[in-house]
Amino acid sequence: MTDVTQIRSASLLDRLDEAAIASAAPSQAELMTELRIKGRPGWTSRLPPSLAAFVTNPKGMAGVTILLAMILFSIFAPMFSEYNPHRRAGKPHVMPGYEHVLGTTRMGKDVFTQVAYGGRISLAVGFGAGIAAAVIGLGIGIAAGYFGGKIDDILTFFVNVVLVLPGLPLIIVIASLVDSAGPLVIGIVLALTGWGWPARTIRTQTLSLRTREFVLSAELMGEKKWRIIFKEIFPNMLSFFMGGLVLGTISAILAEAALSFIGLGDPNAVTWGTMLYWAQNNMALQVGAWWEIWPPAIAIMLTGAALVLVNFAVDEITNPQLKASRKIGRIKRFLKRRGRSADVF
Amino acid sequence: MIYILRRMAFYVAAFFVAVTLNFFIPRIMPGDPSARIIASFQGRLSDAQVEAIRASYGTTGSLWEQYLGYVGQVLRMDFGISTVQFPEPTSSLLFYGATWTLVLVGISITLAFLIGTMMGIHAAWNRGGFFDSVFTPLNVMLNAFTPAVVALLLFYAFSLQLQWFPLGRAHAMGLAPSFDLHFIGNVLYHATLPVLSILIVSFGGWHLGMRNVMINLLNEDFVILARAKGLSDRRVRYRYVARNAIMPQITSLALSVGFLLGGALVTEQVFNYPGLGKFTVTAIESRDYSFIQAQLLLLTMSVLVANLLSDIANVILDPRLRKG
Repeated sequence: MTDVTQIRSASLLDRLDEAAIASAAPSQAELMTELRIKGRPGWTSRLPPSLAAFVTNPKGMAGVTILLAMILFSIFAPMFSEYNPHRRAGKPHVMPGYEHVLGTTRMGKDVFTQVAYGGRISLAVGFGAGIAAAVIGLGIGIAAGYFGGKIDDILTFFVNVVLVLPGLPLIIVIASLVDSAGPLVIGIVLALTGWGWPARTIRTQTLSLRTREFVLSAELMGEKKWRIIFKEIFPNMLSFFMGGLVLGTISAILAEAALSFIGLGDPNAVTWGTMLYWAQNNMALQVGAWWEIWPPAIAIMLTGAALVLVNFAVDEITNPQLKASRKIGRIKRFLKRRGRSADVF
Repeated sequence: MIYILRRMAFYVAAFFVAVTLNFFIPRIMPGDPSARIIASFQGRLSDAQVEAIRASYGTTGSLWEQYLGYVGQVLRMDFGISTVQFPEPTSSLLFYGATWTLVLVGISITLAFLIGTMMGIHAAWNRGGFFDSVFTPLNVMLNAFTPAVVALLLFYAFSLQLQWFPLGRAHAMGLAPSFDLHFIGNVLYHATLPVLSILIVSFGGWHLGMRNVMINLLNEDFVILARAKGLSDRRVRYRYVARNAIMPQITSLALSVGFLLGGALVTEQVFNYPGLGKFTVTAIESRDYSFIQAQLLLLTMSVLVANLLSDIANVILDPRLRKG
């Protein structure tokens, strides 16, 4: 009589062996190539951690490269074109060609030159308003979060009011009262209405930092308040500050375009928004002059897209779970190829 | 309940800040509206006429008296007489335009929120996958496109070239407003392109917001417990994670109303849609200050109401708020 238990256990062991071979744990080297982890730290490890995290982020670097290209293009506009953006350069509505790379407007102005020079004002208004709004938000957010009590109550009230007031309609009220709202006026108003979001996020962050050990120990050592704010709290706010700056810049560029487009801006200034305004007024699309609409539109879209990419990178730095989620996709695909269930969560 | 009351007190205060801003901004600026009109007559007015113009713009008496008078006017919803459509009171024009803007923004905000949130849930659940790595950046980039360009292109392609959609107006001429299917269908037909252009530039924000909040929640203990209990993926996804991630979304939905109303301004201008934005642009061109100021108050008001609604929704969704 055969021993039943022996047979069973043997076959069970066999099956277990097969399963183990099929699902053999990947070697470390395999995993590292799969997840693109380098064996030795690269040159980025010598940078400050937050900067290194940004430099190694492909989305962020793509965004920065596009932005730098746009900025350099508009700063060195005179090197790319010999025309004057305000002057007639040729016949009206000339097709893009050798003489005029992107054609001419109905007024006979060179579109390529206008895009290059218009970038100066559009980008300056956008970045100026974005930086100013982020700085105001940073100051108010840190003050509210760090000092607390009455100061926090009052500042939070104003933050909430700014958040609730609709920005564009308020700008319209102001811009319609000054005779023609030049780029400077629009930029100032955008800065004064745009600091709500950065102030709110930075206040929340400060509140959580204030109770951390390193801030408490600095307080116990008798450090001055402004020193704690600048040396201990501010460095930890850098990425939130950047996030506020990027979002503020996007909305300022879009708002400048919208305001100029509906005719509130100074129609004689050359910005991407006023180019769209003139194109719409001159019925550029209706007469088939697509080259009058597309270049400024693409310039605005490209800038917006680049800033969005930078914002993705900033998000991944402030929120490590977002960065980890990119790797999860790779791990899942890897496991699937090895025939294992991809139930990674 | 106390929470809601506290929020309402804040909204009343915020509204008064808007009223105060509305009152002071023209007075800080060089040359208030009445001075402008008086100047445009180049000294051909008698003193009594000057006084009458000043009185009609509320710029007589001390600053405090003027302020009280202005607040009283606002509370009575009396915004003066429109100079564009002369005998019409500003408020009737305002509410006519607001109705159509509400149609546009109401439809597009609902669609954008639903589409964006569903996409965000999908992207977060399969994070790092194909949909997430391609469409998340793409949708958010759409968000940074100018409403002006998107509207112009849609208008050019579908209204001018293909002629599938009308060239303007909110409903066909000579069609009396009524609540029958024919009229509503006509209104929706006219609203399609404007709604589409607002939709294209706004759903990416909801996608990103929902995705980021959900990814943070996916590693929480309660989600792991729910999965360990063997609940279906569907149930964990919607009842556990999305249920908790939706609350910050609702708060930002309310805050975005102001932004969307601003976006509608450009869209209405392109599609010649008789909403608030169209009238505002006309008012800007003809320097109709009472209308420009009134639209700010009305828009602020609607943002505040939207915020109050979101507070109520949050109280219903989040039991922790009911105590506080």
